[in-house]
Amino acid sequence: MRIFREKYGAGPVHLAAILASFAVAAYGLSRALDLASNPDRILLWLGGSIVAHDLVLFPVYAVIGVIAASVMLGRGRPSRLRIAALNHLRFPALASGLLLLIWYPLVAAQGERSFMRVSGLSKDVYLERWLIITAVLFAVSALLFAVRAPWLARER
Amino acid sequence: MRLPAVGPFRADFWRSPLRGPWLASVLSSALLPLVAICAVTGFVSHWAYEPRLGGNAVFGGPGPGNGFDLYGLDWPTSPAWLYAATQGAHVISGIAAIPILLAKLWAVIPKLFENPPFLSVAHALERLSLVLLVGGSLFVFATGVINIQAWYPFGFSFVPAHYYGAIVMLAALVLHVGLKLPIMGAAFRQLGVTRPLREDLRHAEPEPGLPGVVTSAPPSPAPPTLTRRGLLGAVGAASAGLAVMTSGQVIGGPLAELAVLTPRGRGRGDGRNDFPINKTFAAVEIPREKVGPDWRLLLHTPDERRGEVTREQLLGMELVTAELPIACVEGWSTTQTWTGVRLADLARRARVDHPTAVEVRSMQPRGSLRSVTLSQDQLEHPHALLALRVNGADLSLDHGYPARLIVPALPGVHCTKWVGKLVFA
Repeated sequence: MRIFREKYGAGPVHLAAILASFAVAAYGLSRALDLASNPDRILLWLGGSIVAHDLVLFPVYAVIGVIAASVMLGRGRPSRLRIAALNHLRFPALASGLLLLIWYPLVAAQGERSFMRVSGLSKDVYLERWLIITAVLFAVSALLFAVRAPWLARER
Repeated sequence: MRLPAVGPFRADFWRSPLRGPWLASVLSSALLPLVAICAVTGFVSHWAYEPRLGGNAVFGGPGPGNGFDLYGLDWPTSPAWLYAATQGAHVISGIAAIPILLAKLWAVIPKLFENPPFLSVAHALERLSLVLLVGGSLFVFATGVINIQAWYPFGFSFVPAHYYGAIVMLAALVLHVGLKLPIMGAAFRQLGVTRPLREDLRHAEPEPGLPGVVTSAPPSPAPPTLTRRGLLGAVGAASAGLAVMTSGQVIGGPLAELAVLTPRGRGRGDGRNDFPINKTFAAVEIPREKVGPDWRLLLHTPDERRGEVTREQLLGMELVTAELPIACVEGWSTTQTWTGVRLADLARRARVDHPTAVEVRSMQPRGSLRSVTLSQDQLEHPHALLALRVNGADLSLDHGYPARLIVPALPGVHCTKWVGKLVFA
């Protein structure tokens, strides 16, 4: 048992659990690939979704965040007012970005023809709606900042 | 084996003071119930299609082993809003989980670049299972969200991919929960479940990490610009906001006004036919003359023809009016007042005394869901109707004129439109 632990790095239950999980996952994946007319597209989407998040979406929003922080906070120890200003930009930006991420096919009118065929509706209203929501989010955030600013400026 | 300490593989590259096992644990505690609701209701939806009956199976045929099905147990017909509730819960919980999932991935992303990448065989296998967990989750959430917006860029059929992708995700998730539960317990014991939420910006300490465990707690944290309650409040608000918005297309009423950025927060049609549809008449390529005055409803048994009825004759039969919801697999529903003839009465008219099933066929020339088979339970329900009118007006063409099926708790795509033939078994 001690030798197993040394060689493997954990107990035998760990290995059994991993193998059970892999077996079920392999079953699921093989069924998905079996039933698909284009199995390579499933693998592409499976792998592509990791790349799209970890190596595209995350770096993009993280870099934008770092740039925004360095612009807003300046050098040295940032004041509470500057930190608050940064956050009053961060929250509406993240909310707007999240809505765009989830409803991108609506906002960018992707699949307009199939949507029209199933629902009889056009997607042309959504870009405007998203822009209005984004504007309202930033406006409300700015308003709240304006209310808080005098109080934050007093604080050390 | 250590990778060169460059870029994200350098431990001090990751500086957010908010990351760490406590944050990951809190986010997981919120994520897990939502994923559980989403998974259970997803499997329930598969059962609601009754894939063992007739040609109902969307993939793999009616045999066993083609997805979750409580064999021998029929999908209930009561309460009538059952499918609206389960499928609404599926789509709402799934969408509400997205901001939490993204926050969770943000919280643990330093571990993607942990260095050395493999400490042991066990550790390497755990990381491999994380590929399945992250890939499977992103795949299932992305395909679901894209599908409900009627965009089909996949190149594979959505239902089996979404279904079995979920099984890949859940296999990895159950393992992940089992392996990480001790770490969650340790993180909550170390910092308390809610204590870090009380810290203001001046007192927001970075997470210390856990002894003997590689965590996402930063070794050289930057000064905080956000409190933990600020971060979690924003994630929670985003999740709740999306849930409320999406529930507008499920529950309707005043909430519908909030469903501005959802696929189906809007009506479709004129006057009393003004409610959402799932397939337009224009899309199905049924010739106009087939839905004109020459339309006949054909009554059959599997072996022979048992007669035909005109729409006038149907309207002359005993009409039943019922307020029933129609609920789409895409997670929207709408309750309307339908008037039509009981399927049971039509069975009698076809001289079938004790029908065990009925196959309802649309005049649609193509498409996978143009016919549906109902169980005995469903077809005998007093509100299982061949509907002719809605809200007192004739059905519009988009809503299935001359006649459509409406049955309590039946998934929307099974409420066949432009019905041409009933086959009683």
